[in-house]
Amino acid sequence: MNPAHYDYDTLADLAEGLLEDDQAASVNAHLDTCAECRDRSADLADVSRILAEAPVPSMPAELAARIDTAIAAESMSNATVVSLEQRRGRRHWRILSAAAATVVVLGGGAMVGKAALNGSGDNDHSATAHSPVTDRKDSNSGAPQGAAPSERTQTLGESGQPKVAGPYTVSRSGTDYRQGQLNQQVARLFGKGPELKAGGGQTPDPQLAQCVSTITGGKKPDLVDVAKYEGSDATVIALAGAKPGTWNVWAVGPNCSVLKRESA
Amino acid sequence: MASVSMRRVDEVPDKELLARHAQGDPHAFAELVNRHRDRMWAVAIRTLGDPEEAADALQDACLSAFRAAGRFRGDAAVTTWLHRIVVNACLDRLRRKSVRPATPMGDDATFDAVAPKMPDPTDAHGVSLDVQSALAQLPFEQRAALILVDMMGYSVDDAAKVLEVPPGTIKSRCARGRARLAPLLVQHRNRRDRKNVGGVEGGGMP
Repeated sequence: MNPAHYDYDTLADLAEGLLEDDQAASVNAHLDTCAECRDRSADLADVSRILAEAPVPSMPAELAARIDTAIAAESMSNATVVSLEQRRGRRHWRILSAAAATVVVLGGGAMVGKAALNGSGDNDHSATAHSPVTDRKDSNSGAPQGAAPSERTQTLGESGQPKVAGPYTVSRSGTDYRQGQLNQQVARLFGKGPELKAGGGQTPDPQLAQCVSTITGGKKPDLVDVAKYEGSDATVIALAGAKPGTWNVWAVGPNCSVLKRESA
Repeated sequence: MASVSMRRVDEVPDKELLARHAQGDPHAFAELVNRHRDRMWAVAIRTLGDPEEAADALQDACLSAFRAAGRFRGDAAVTTWLHRIVVNACLDRLRRKSVRPATPMGDDATFDAVAPKMPDPTDAHGVSLDVQSALAQLPFEQRAALILVDMMGYSVDDAAKVLEVPPGTIKSRCARGRARLAPLLVQHRNRRDRKNVGGVEGGGMP
């Protein structure tokens, strides 16, 4: 049987090698003599070509940011929903990093820390210094116990932009964080209460701010400590966990690659 | 807008990124997505047509992939696995939409919600309306096969892995799809005064 013309389906099957041999032979024989069917075959080839030539759309930047945020949120143990607040949060961090806001990083488990972290902005936590320094060297001493921070708490108020919400500063506790002990070490820092030591007390530079924001999904970190992890330069970022007194802690390298994550 | 700092781990292989992710590195997965997002987006937008739907599907896909990363089998390419998740997320979206429209709607609106949507002709997403509206006429399976093979340049075998069907099935879906698209696209190319086939493009012929 050799119909007057073949339809697109048959010709498409032929092109894909889906026809039985004898049928393929008769279609091919027909194509030799039928210009119209050859045109149809060319139409089919054109379909593939047109599809291939369709421009590749780039992901809209807005969506890329949204997905980044969703992933960052997902990577925190208890966050699954990306809220608008979080998206705004990201923007905030950017503003923040530029604005060099104020305030102490580390507070005691409860009140002082809260007050400072909530960014009332007018705080004047002048340095308090006590709590025995056991060891603040940048050592590889392997003695995490001894890695208690030094003891200055500083407040920087140079920017005069108290309205920015959720400011944090970067501390330099001098702690040499250890694998498996991030949580205890962070908890110990927080346990020190108001005399916690933000040795540097600086606002994060934009790159660090971006890194922190990505890690925390735009949430305000409870601790950003430029310190060491297993003897190498690292920044430790802590975020309160689902239960009080628990922390999600990340140790990230200088390029913001995560060296370790621990949560309790 | 993207994180500056994440660009630096670019040379890490996909599988290594997945492994790091499994170890709790929150950057690893973000980097993986960054790396492949344009292609994932291309699959989603072409499969669904509507940018909003495609965005939601892609976010769904990224989060499913994030959670399922531990089940990734090392013998497949990571991109294959990612694209499978994107296609499945698109299919989920389509099914959900056809089962229950999000808001109460009249008949026309319901129909619109179920039918694949055309992107706004003025938008900047860059999908050719001719192609997009023609693709929208295809059943999902044929559309997905053609997107992977003809548009994304996958081999039949790789597309078969993405869609988890035999290669012969991919061939047959592609053939069916091309046969269906041929008259539509030929018409698009050759006759500006064509009948309205649902496209928004062209010279305002109603």
